[in-house]
Amino acid sequence: MPGRVVTIQPHEPTLGERLYLPLLQGMALTLKKFVANVFTPKTRPTIEYPEQRRQYSDRYRGRHILKTREDGSLKCVACYMCATACPADCINIVAGEHPNLAYEKYPTVFEIDLLRCVMCGFCVDACPKDAIWMTKDYEMSYFSRQDAIYGIPELTEKPSDTGEGGPGYGYRPYYGASPAKKAGQFEPSGLSLLPMTLARNAAINRVPPPPPKPPAPAPAKPAA
Amino acid sequence: MSATLSATGGVSFAPVLERKFPDGSVSVERRPAADVPTVVAAPGSFHEAARFLRDDPAAGFDLLLDLVAVDRLKLDGPPSFRGDERFQLNALLYSTKRNEHLRLRVALPATEPRLQTLAEVWPASNWFEREAWDLMGIRFDGHPNLARLLTHNGFVGHALRKDYEAGQRWLCTDEDVLQTALAAKTDLPEDVFETMTLNFGPSHPSTHGTLRIVLRVDGERIVAAESECGYLHRCFEKMSETHTYTQVIPYTDRLNYCSPMINGNGYARAVEQMLGIEIPARARAVRVVLSEFSRIMDHMVCIGANLVDLGGLTTFWYSYQAREEIYSLLEACCGARLTSSYARIGGLSLDVPDNFVEWCRTLGRSVTTHIREVETLLTKNRIFQKRMSGTGVVTKEQAIAWGFTGPCLRASGVGYDVRKDKPYDGYDEVDFDVPVATAGDNYSRYLVRMEEMRQSLRIIEQVVSKLPGGPVVSDDYRVVLPPKEMVYNEMEGLIFHFKNVFEGIQVPAGEIYSYTEGANGELGYSIVSDGSGRPYRVKVRPPCFPLFAAFEKIIIGGMVSDAVATLGTLNIIAGELDR
Repeated sequence: MPGRVVTIQPHEPTLGERLYLPLLQGMALTLKKFVANVFTPKTRPTIEYPEQRRQYSDRYRGRHILKTREDGSLKCVACYMCATACPADCINIVAGEHPNLAYEKYPTVFEIDLLRCVMCGFCVDACPKDAIWMTKDYEMSYFSRQDAIYGIPELTEKPSDTGEGGPGYGYRPYYGASPAKKAGQFEPSGLSLLPMTLARNAAINRVPPPPPKPPAPAPAKPAA
Repeated sequence: MSATLSATGGVSFAPVLERKFPDGSVSVERRPAADVPTVVAAPGSFHEAARFLRDDPAAGFDLLLDLVAVDRLKLDGPPSFRGDERFQLNALLYSTKRNEHLRLRVALPATEPRLQTLAEVWPASNWFEREAWDLMGIRFDGHPNLARLLTHNGFVGHALRKDYEAGQRWLCTDEDVLQTALAAKTDLPEDVFETMTLNFGPSHPSTHGTLRIVLRVDGERIVAAESECGYLHRCFEKMSETHTYTQVIPYTDRLNYCSPMINGNGYARAVEQMLGIEIPARARAVRVVLSEFSRIMDHMVCIGANLVDLGGLTTFWYSYQAREEIYSLLEACCGARLTSSYARIGGLSLDVPDNFVEWCRTLGRSVTTHIREVETLLTKNRIFQKRMSGTGVVTKEQAIAWGFTGPCLRASGVGYDVRKDKPYDGYDEVDFDVPVATAGDNYSRYLVRMEEMRQSLRIIEQVVSKLPGGPVVSDDYRVVLPPKEMVYNEMEGLIFHFKNVFEGIQVPAGEIYSYTEGANGELGYSIVSDGSGRPYRVKVRPPCFPLFAAFEKIIIGGMVSDAVATLGTLNIIAGELDR
């Protein structure tokens, strides 16, 4: 058999071990931890959850948001890509004709059943229009199953999603080894990069991908 | 992966086989090099072939890994796929002496598929046969207890058959099968009034989820035991058949939820082998690093939770701290702490964070500290030693016969580790040891896990120091989604994108058994493709399935409290066990 196989033999207990002396070492360790936790609370590994919150990376897959164009209409063109890619079958879309001819199609119904959702981010990967992103919001609890079905009003991006105290953007489209990534517009973060999170999010938001269609003459507000 | 397809189909003992079965009832099937060598037997000679494969020194396949039943009803093929050869049963075998895998295959008719049980050839087949009966309806004559395993007693039909209508609901009846089985099994001595039946689980804290064991105890001593699983069965295999290859990835995270990354990597590797694509070196390295971190996590959880069952809560805190820290790294890579979904067919979903190398090193140092803390509390602790030594003993022969793999097999003295013996993803380029213990008791399993964690840290350090640059995902856009810029700006990119999402990855028709070293042992994926975007059949070989199947045999004669300790060191993960 190739490679090195090492045999571990449980050693014969020494006199000290027979006298249960190593237990003292264990107790010393526990005591050390206890003292450290009492007197230097900052080194405690635990997080006192509702008051303190864990910082997540910019890839965190939380609640979804639907991105909007500058005129406030949804970027979504109801192509059903996200609904098709969804392994949990939790996205329900009904397409309608958009009054603005440049947009052609838009979703009259866009629902995500967050109780079915497995938070895999495949919808974000699948979207060809950069219309669905995820946030870092992980606090999703409901009193009824019906509450868990988010429609367009709940999903549309709001200032509270990214503003001060909001969850901020999480998982978003993968740009691949593109120039955009090299320029640092979509760079991942680690713990050390966390303070920059919000600033970068804003930067990413300002640089939308080039529009696939020629600019519309006069964008009109869609009829709800 | 062997280089080319030889005339013997990769089976070294083909001439011996031909001499033994001159009538051709057992023959070698030519398989692609990526797949395991295959021997096909006629139903009549299946049993004889199995015996030959186990006993002949040229073959020596002593370890049964898995039984994979396939319903070929809807596969393209001759009319016999709808008649005499509708079902296929594949026994996946491993030879611990010769380090080889083999598939023994037999075709069975559509009506009344039945076969003689393999129980006396490989005792591990007991539960695998029950599963094949339960989900595929293949009857095994002479089986000691051919009862349903993953579905309940009130279930009608066999769920993985292609003509089974999914979505039917069956009411679970209240009849307790386990007690009946135990009563039938117990050959009670005359002191029948001295023994009592003890129900253990499914919601007992030390069953870590949803296992159930019914014990017949004489005082504290276990006289007979019967266990069952299936409480966490979520139809992973049936669900896979209706999802595209990519969509299965999130489901793999929920198999062994203590080390989700390893499952996803193993699955992606299986599909990549079917497609015959190579993934970029960076993706391979990152997969190795995160798999090893997941292994540490899994072992930490195993040891920590085991100690909780034994009454030592402190270890649990220290070991879980390591796990929490590792989760933070995983989350920064893939965006979720537990449900990682990081692997993609062809690489990874995202590149690692910029400070990945630095982070891995820091994490390595802190995990080393946590391992040392756990060690301080346990290894020389006489109470722990006395509790663990000599309990839950599995001898080398038993471990092989019961189909053990992973740390539990290595603790019994067999140094089989897929990473070493069948290297993949560049494990042959790193220097690490495979720890083996000989006693086969709970303490050995603990020691092996502790040493494996240190070896994992060695692997991580070596891989991270040479982390290759470049992309983390293949640029074959028939398999991976093109970069978003291409999708937004180029027609071709958009076409690839649409085809990939709507039709799924077009995997050529074929079959594979691909295996990696999971945290609990050999994690195998048997995938059958019919050439469409969805897998025709996916069968997982969960490493703890044979472990739990053997549990009821290991604990006989021991005390109830030792059974708890043994259950912990075997590290049964219900998500993986029940799928």
